[in-house]
Amino acid sequence: MREAYKIHQKLQVIDAIKNNDSSTLKSIYTKNYPKVEILVLKNNGTKEHAKDIYQEAFLALWQNIKQDKFVPATESSINGYLYTIAKNKWMDVLRSKGYKKTIVASQLQHFEIKDEEDNGIDDDILKDKRLEDVMLAFKNLGEACRSLLRMFYFEKKSMNLIAEELSLDSASTRNKKYRCMQKLKQIALKNS
Amino acid sequence: MNLNDISQEEFESIEAYLNGQLSDEDVMVFENRLKNEEGFASKVEDIKTILTGLETQVMKEQLDEFHDEMPNSQEDITTNEPKVKSLHWKRIAVAAVLIIGLGSFWLFNGNSNDRLYSNYFTPDPGLPTTMSSTDNYEFYEAMVDYKQGDYNTAGQKWKVLLEAKPKSDTLNYFIGSALMANDKINEAINHLKTVTESNDGAFKNEAYYYLGLAYLKSGNTDAAISALKKTNVPKSKDLLKKLD
Repeated sequence: MREAYKIHQKLQVIDAIKNNDSSTLKSIYTKNYPKVEILVLKNNGTKEHAKDIYQEAFLALWQNIKQDKFVPATESSINGYLYTIAKNKWMDVLRSKGYKKTIVASQLQHFEIKDEEDNGIDDDILKDKRLEDVMLAFKNLGEACRSLLRMFYFEKKSMNLIAEELSLDSASTRNKKYRCMQKLKQIALKNS
Repeated sequence: MNLNDISQEEFESIEAYLNGQLSDEDVMVFENRLKNEEGFASKVEDIKTILTGLETQVMKEQLDEFHDEMPNSQEDITTNEPKVKSLHWKRIAVAAVLIIGLGSFWLFNGNSNDRLYSNYFTPDPGLPTTMSSTDNYEFYEAMVDYKQGDYNTAGQKWKVLLEAKPKSDTLNYFIGSALMANDKINEAINHLKTVTESNDGAFKNEAYYYLGLAYLKSGNTDAAISALKKTNVPKSKDLLKKLD
């Protein structure tokens, strides 16, 4: 009985993440950040670095769960996964050119330096130039389109509900969405 | 990527395919096109990239909001650190002497109840914070503060929840524990009493133990003994012996 209950709960978390459930994501985000901040601050980074690295790691976690590349068995495996990605990413930054000159290996005392490089985690999911172009383009999209597309693709609201909120019929809402997508794609092309 | 040659209809069917919203039959037709029509696969790939990019950007903006809403407890921890490091060793030595001095003063003069209290009191370790309990999100958010030792914040958050459920044994128990950790003994006693009087027994046993300690600290030894007799927390027996 207890096992069955656990499995049920586990699926709930995964589904909540896949559906971008805000309170679930926020609780994971808030709970895991402090550890990563400590790691980065103790290893020659600033709070800004910590935030950037952590958010990259969080997006990778989210994408990997969405694409079933990572199927967490427990809550703590989500936490561990997130921390490991963040750590890998910060190691990469430290090893990169800009940092190498200023950092002496002995300063990295807080890392357990056992090169577990290949821990099988794919965290490069967002290192795609075209994806970056789209992300940047969305930032620069007009607010009307941003909010329409956000409702569709992030909040995953139904067509009817969105049409109702905009006081439009469903055909014009669909057409509006299509035109917003075209605009988004145009801006993305201009950037690239 | 070039979407200009994609009609609304085609866009919608590609989208439905990517979202798994096509019927089995339509999927067959679609995948046939993917295989045979030149350039179609890359169109689908482009739309997939756009959809992923869009959703990811919204998520990123959402994360910034989470970040800004985060309690700044980290700030305290991190700004404390350099201060400690920059302390001169002489100052530390002076502080140590002072502590030892005060400590021995307390040891010889302090009353024995206080001593027993500090030997026996450790805050309840708290409950595991599971994300699945999203309906109880506020409760567990405060539990995170509690576990990080921020008893003040945790207590305040729980007190807000307590207004809706004044008799909740869980809330009263942890508020009591948080208050004791902050040395607010009299207030803690009120909350712990509520727990011992509640019908739900989950926290009763522990509550009597903490209540006993709280009375001990407040100098009411008789009440302490009577509360400690009602719990079977192992340490209570030990403590009772010392009180006799």
